[in-house]
Amino acid sequence: MDAEGQESFREFVAGRSSALLKTAVLLTGGDRHAAEDLLQNALVKAAGRWGRIDDPEAYVRRILYRQQISRWRLKWPRREISVAELPDAAGGSGDGAAAAELRLLMRGALARLTARQRSVLVLRYFEDLPETDVARILGCSVGTVRSTTHRSLARLRALAPELATLGPAAAERQPSRDFSPVEVRP
Amino acid sequence: MNVEELVRDSLREQAAGQVPLGPGFADRVLTARRRRRAREIASVAAATVAVVAVAVGVPLLDGGKDDVRLASEMNKSDIIAHPEQSPPRDLIAAGDTALAAYYTTSLVKETADKGADRRTYRILDQETGKYVKDTRWSFVDVAPGMRTAAVLEQNLPAKRIGILDLLTGEVERWIPVDEGVAAVEFSPDGDKLVATTYDENPGLRYRQDYDSDGDGKANDWYPEWGQSSRTGFYVLDVDSGKGAWSKVSYNADDLNARQDFAFSADGKLVYSGLMTEPHEQFYDFEGNEVAKPANEKHLHWGVEARLSPDGKLAAGDFAGGAKTTASAINDPHTGKRVHKVRGQQLLAWVDNKRLIAWDITPGSNEFHNRLVLVTIGSDRTVPLSGFRKGNDGAGGRWTPIFAQR
Repeated sequence: MDAEGQESFREFVAGRSSALLKTAVLLTGGDRHAAEDLLQNALVKAAGRWGRIDDPEAYVRRILYRQQISRWRLKWPRREISVAELPDAAGGSGDGAAAAELRLLMRGALARLTARQRSVLVLRYFEDLPETDVARILGCSVGTVRSTTHRSLARLRALAPELATLGPAAAERQPSRDFSPVEVRP
Repeated sequence: MNVEELVRDSLREQAAGQVPLGPGFADRVLTARRRRRAREIASVAAATVAVVAVAVGVPLLDGGKDDVRLASEMNKSDIIAHPEQSPPRDLIAAGDTALAAYYTTSLVKETADKGADRRTYRILDQETGKYVKDTRWSFVDVAPGMRTAAVLEQNLPAKRIGILDLLTGEVERWIPVDEGVAAVEFSPDGDKLVATTYDENPGLRYRQDYDSDGDGKANDWYPEWGQSSRTGFYVLDVDSGKGAWSKVSYNADDLNARQDFAFSADGKLVYSGLMTEPHEQFYDFEGNEVAKPANEKHLHWGVEARLSPDGKLAAGDFAGGAKTTASAINDPHTGKRVHKVRGQQLLAWVDNKRLIAWDITPGSNEFHNRLVLVTIGSDRTVPLSGFRKGNDGAGGRWTPIFAQR
């Protein structure tokens, strides 16, 4: 990479790394250190092709998802995921505090999903991507996205029985017949 | 509220709570990339670097063989190309620079988690002009003139260095050493060898559950991170086999598992690549750290071609764009770019205007590259070999070693 390339790469990292980090944190189930490693690895790959990538952000995001799914980080024993303390009920009461508590419960449950399950949920509900786009990014079929979403939501309910009070989601009402495992092309 | 809405809210809340990255993150990435690239090309750089710059005499093992004609001398063509061959079978050369040998690397497993990279060399048979597989050696460097090679047997580190006659394929002489050696390299004039010493085989690899090569399997093999068993170097006189060993201390974080010493362009110093600034450290033959020579101040050990034969130009890094490959040619004293040539990666100078490089077909897979001849001031490239297949690190990919013919 020449000096000009390095400058534009630095500009890209300065401008987009915080947004990319958010995605990486969600993919790693809240493990900030793992997220920084994941992002660093994706950016190293992007740097190797800098100047030949049309859309650097899309490229980096695709690597983030695929790397996380291929579980390249399994070298390390799974770190304990720390979830913030529950908010002090004295600060508020009623529905607001209950909702915050539910979100924290959900965060803990998300951290316990598999990387594949979590990635599909992040793409569907954080990135708000349609199933066809999720399938394209992950290199699998739409049916696989649908079935993985369904099973992931069911798993969240199993992990956090407190979620039983919630109504069923659309994805849960339409179980897919395709229960094949998630396939990811390298 | 349903589960989907709660998932969405939770993810957004968690994302919003992230403290932004510090301003040094881009540098952290670029440093990591440099280290990774350095690891990938470490041995190639050291193996090709010192033999291409200066054309000089060969250490003759036996004066009586002077009348024998070497295959690399018999064909006087300026360019000898075999663009249909990958890996090459017949001599490839341009100007005074020839492909003297090449190797492929494969992993030999010792246990489920431990193994070692083993190189298989194919060396030019000077009688037939063909590259011939020779499994006796774990490491090979070819002297300028391509009449002799320095070789190490299997099971590194080795306790003796062989001087191989490329006409007969036999070892003419062994140089015994007390410290185990895992790399050898001729000086630019072919009179000396620098031999890098290690306590254990620098090719050791350990299985890790990564898939950084993207083959879909979390089964990559790496050296142990931050570990180096390098102990120092010998500088040996090829004819007499005499010389001294120098212990070299280091910070293991600065080195690859294999980080071999090489000669400076004038053959008066040796240097080692570093994965951090200042990227290269020079030593005198007693092992004392010395300043960089003025014309090697801006070289990076990852760019194999280094200085032009007249010492006025320095091969630089990739300088291509989105659709084209190109490399920089720099002023060695300032490090500033003075030319741009075709080619993805500059490997060896042919003369003061031409170089041998890896290059791809524009827009194709960056790893499917072939040897080409590139010329300063010209967009024309001349293919010298066929395209390598497989991705970086894949089995069967060949790595060239050049020498003056």
